[in-house]
Amino acid sequence: MLELRDLVKHYPAGDGEPVRAVDGVSLVLGPGELVALHGPSGSGKTTLLMLIAALLRPDSGTVIVDGKDVSTLSERQAAHLRLCELGYVRQAVHLLASASALDNAALKLMGTGLDVGEAHRRAMPLLERLGLGERARHRAEQLSMGERQRVMIARALSTDPKLVLADEPTSNLDSARAEEVLGLLADVCRERRTAVLLVTHDPRAAAHADRVLALRDGRLVEHEPDRLAFAVRAE
Amino acid sequence: MRLSNVVRLYRVRLRGRLVQEALALSGIAVGVALLFSSQVASTSLNGSVAQITNGIVGHMRFQLAARAPQGFEEGLLGEVQSMPGVIGALPVLEARVNMVGPTAARTLELLGANPRLAYLAGPLVRRFSYARLADLSALALPAPIAQAIGVSSLRPVRLQIGSLAPRALVGTTLSAREIGPLADSPIALGPLFYVQRLAGMRGRVTSIFVRPRPGDEREVRSALARLAGARGLNVRPANFEATLFNQAAGPTNQSTLLFSAISALVGFLFAFNALLLTVPQRRNLVEDLRLDGYTAGMIVKVLLFDALVLGALASLAGLALGELLSVELFSGNPGYLSLGFPVGSQRIVNWQSVSIAIAGGVVAAVLGVLAPLRREICSPLTRAFERQRRSKGSIVRALVGGLVAVAATTAILLLAPQAAIVGVVCLIGALLLFLPVALTGVVAVLERLRRHFSGVSAYLAAIELQSRANRTRALAIGATGAIAVFGSVAIQGAHSNLQQGLDRLVHQLNTNSQLWIMPPGEENLLASSPFPAIELSALRSSPGVSAIEPVMGGLLDYDDRRVWVIGAPPGSPEPIPPSQLVGGELASAAARLRAGGWAVVSQALAQEHHLRIGQRFLLPSPRPAVFRVAALITNLGWPPGAVILSSADYARAWASADPSAYYVRLAPGVAPLPARARLARALGPTSGLGVETSHQRELRQRSASRQGLARLSEISWLVLIAAILAMGAAMGAMIWQRRAQLADLKVDGFRRGELWRSLLLESVLLLGTGCSIGAVFGIYGQILLSHALATVTGFPVVFSAEVPSALLSFLIVTAVAVAIVAVPGRIAAGARPAISTQE
Repeated sequence: MLELRDLVKHYPAGDGEPVRAVDGVSLVLGPGELVALHGPSGSGKTTLLMLIAALLRPDSGTVIVDGKDVSTLSERQAAHLRLCELGYVRQAVHLLASASALDNAALKLMGTGLDVGEAHRRAMPLLERLGLGERARHRAEQLSMGERQRVMIARALSTDPKLVLADEPTSNLDSARAEEVLGLLADVCRERRTAVLLVTHDPRAAAHADRVLALRDGRLVEHEPDRLAFAVRAE
Repeated sequence: MRLSNVVRLYRVRLRGRLVQEALALSGIAVGVALLFSSQVASTSLNGSVAQITNGIVGHMRFQLAARAPQGFEEGLLGEVQSMPGVIGALPVLEARVNMVGPTAARTLELLGANPRLAYLAGPLVRRFSYARLADLSALALPAPIAQAIGVSSLRPVRLQIGSLAPRALVGTTLSAREIGPLADSPIALGPLFYVQRLAGMRGRVTSIFVRPRPGDEREVRSALARLAGARGLNVRPANFEATLFNQAAGPTNQSTLLFSAISALVGFLFAFNALLLTVPQRRNLVEDLRLDGYTAGMIVKVLLFDALVLGALASLAGLALGELLSVELFSGNPGYLSLGFPVGSQRIVNWQSVSIAIAGGVVAAVLGVLAPLRREICSPLTRAFERQRRSKGSIVRALVGGLVAVAATTAILLLAPQAAIVGVVCLIGALLLFLPVALTGVVAVLERLRRHFSGVSAYLAAIELQSRANRTRALAIGATGAIAVFGSVAIQGAHSNLQQGLDRLVHQLNTNSQLWIMPPGEENLLASSPFPAIELSALRSSPGVSAIEPVMGGLLDYDDRRVWVIGAPPGSPEPIPPSQLVGGELASAAARLRAGGWAVVSQALAQEHHLRIGQRFLLPSPRPAVFRVAALITNLGWPPGAVILSSADYARAWASADPSAYYVRLAPGVAPLPARARLARALGPTSGLGVETSHQRELRQRSASRQGLARLSEISWLVLIAAILAMGAAMGAMIWQRRAQLADLKVDGFRRGELWRSLLLESVLLLGTGCSIGAVFGIYGQILLSHALATVTGFPVVFSAEVPSALLSFLIVTAVAVAIVAVPGRIAAGARPAISTQE
């Protein structure tokens, strides 16, 4: 479903030495597989997600999503990819404050050309599955942070994407809520055979992940449970 | 993306930004209102004369017109009717009269016509019953005018026509239902024979309107031209009066155009400020939608719908507000134009005015919504996430651009002042380019000075002014103040220079005598209505009178200009007002004028006819005469221009010795007021003439010129008020949105007073910088506009830089806006420290 081949992205730095945000990353994710990716701040996690979502162009290497090399897509093709084939759950939750949870969840569906009624009909089961059935008509500003994050997940999954990228989806939640959201994300994705690349600091993610990877100085390293636990304790 | 989805997205997002949308709506509405009301004022002014003209001439194509109010023999009608190709001819006698009713007096255009009126003329005169008026020997009056002077049907009124003061009967009053908007025109209609009798012009008419057979126009015009040439008459298009008026109203229209532009700009900036409040919210939306795969086109659709709804609603509100403004504020006519034209008070709202205002509102909304987000929408997402480099050359580029714009303005001032509007646009461009430079400089100075201040207020203010997040909004707020103060100072300054010039002119025009004897009436300030000479022996023997001399004067249609011609009496100490001389030498020009055969001509008129001093030209007077140009003068306050001749030359060129006024010089030490009363008694109660002192006349003329210029003041004050509201609202909202940040600072131990002072200091610096730049550029704009007025229109302008008024505008706008900001600033600074954790 997702294949990264020797992916490189460097940023120019003030002192002339480039920052190696992503440095030769290779990775394969199969359908329904959930991979947790952790690493310290500045290790290149978000850059990696942006490269996969075609929000950044790699300096070298390829990103293949569902058989397509997304690193060469035009702006329009990249937009279509994000709209229909990819879900992106962001760390910062920007919902339309005055719109209902249902409207927010159906936003991507409306962008695909479905009318409002049909978009609502498709988004509603997702909200129900994520435990927001009774809150669907509430405005986003009336929802708790956990509920808002679940609405974001519903939106990301609404177009039935093959791949979901989740960037610290639990960073604003308390531990109980975080556990709940991670569990729901994992369950729903497995049910739908959606691959998930989950960037997180949360050690609980390991319990839901098929694999746990770490990124250090832009390089993908093997699963290091001790380091993860240490990092969590340090925070 | 489906329209229904766009509508849905609009609807669900609206609740969260209702206040900001309402502010933006009010901003655009203010701009639309100012634009619409000034358009309506301009259209109404031009349209009122055109309506009267078209209402009378109907399908008639030509007119044979007299060159003087004394008219020509009605007998010519037969010759015109017998011309091949003429299918209708209508004789008309026009006279300017002062109609005195029981409660007030009004100057009107008295029109007399014969029964052919009913089928030859336009809608105005087709509806009035000639037969009834002829039977009664009476006049028809528009109902509003009848009401204004306190007269009704079948009641008598007194007319003052030259030296005559006949009584007339009002036969009927015509309401708007009968004659539509023409009911507001200053006009009275009557049977030709009756008007001839009232005006003392039996057997004479002032024009014959001609309707040619279709296809025979050229032949008829040629035949009319031959007849006119032999009789000293003019052949002109039937609706030529409207053409003359458009020329005369040129300066007013130009200034209206300028005001419209400045008003619209301030209104747009008001809206832009308000729209900037919604930018963070829309920016989040755009980022989110793009991350979710919405294309730029889909996002533009979403935002465009926002803008179109906002623009449409704001335009409707603006039209309603503009309607109110045009009724309440701009309904008065420039007094000076009614001295030579029958200017009505009707309001003419045409589709062009409505369309321009709506288009302006919608374009402002579209620009306001889309422009701040163009980068977020259009730049490729792959680039948007790359690290942004700060542009180091932007300040230098702004500085160079500003200097180029100022240089362009200077070039326009020196080489082509007629392009003043382009110059004003260049100045506004320069002002906007200099503003960020000035703001950067102010912050740099604050940075240097703040170490000398105790407390953190200066430090916090400097940080906020440097903040990139606030930069666009801060610049928009500063720009609003800058443009408003610029517009106000430029307009008020030019107004003041023009007013001073006119005041000096009317003073000098009235220094030649202590008393004036002339037909009364508010519209006879130019002393341009000739009347048969009266017996002066009784007046000359009145105690204290030293000399009485006839003055001649009238309005002459010279090509498409209705020129004011003055025949100065030989005893005038100053036949040429000294301050009005713009070319030639005063003493020699006055001597040449007295010697005869020489004329002093307005510069604009001379330029149009390529005349130089000493050059001969043919004056198209009733008996055309050749004169040489003795000197060049301003337009003496009459937009189409003026010509001064000696009274003897005037009498020769007009083939008439009828005066339009008498100069009365008093013996030394004689008080004017008692002398005036004695002369009025000597004239007797039946005379149509009145006596007034030079001082009274000067006051009346000043009042007329002030009335004509009043709109300038009104609009510049409106612009200032709109700007104060815009800046206060935008600054207040910007501060209000910073409550969480202020609460954070309070958690760190900063006190409310310190935070409030920092907010006030920030406001003073931001608004003060914008307004001071506006004031400086406004003074330049004033010089530019004054030069344009002087060189293009030939108005008597005094050149002075109105620094005190610029300072006043600067202080008023800055102080009031800061005072408005102080309230939300105080409340925001009082935010509870806990707020930051709650949010």
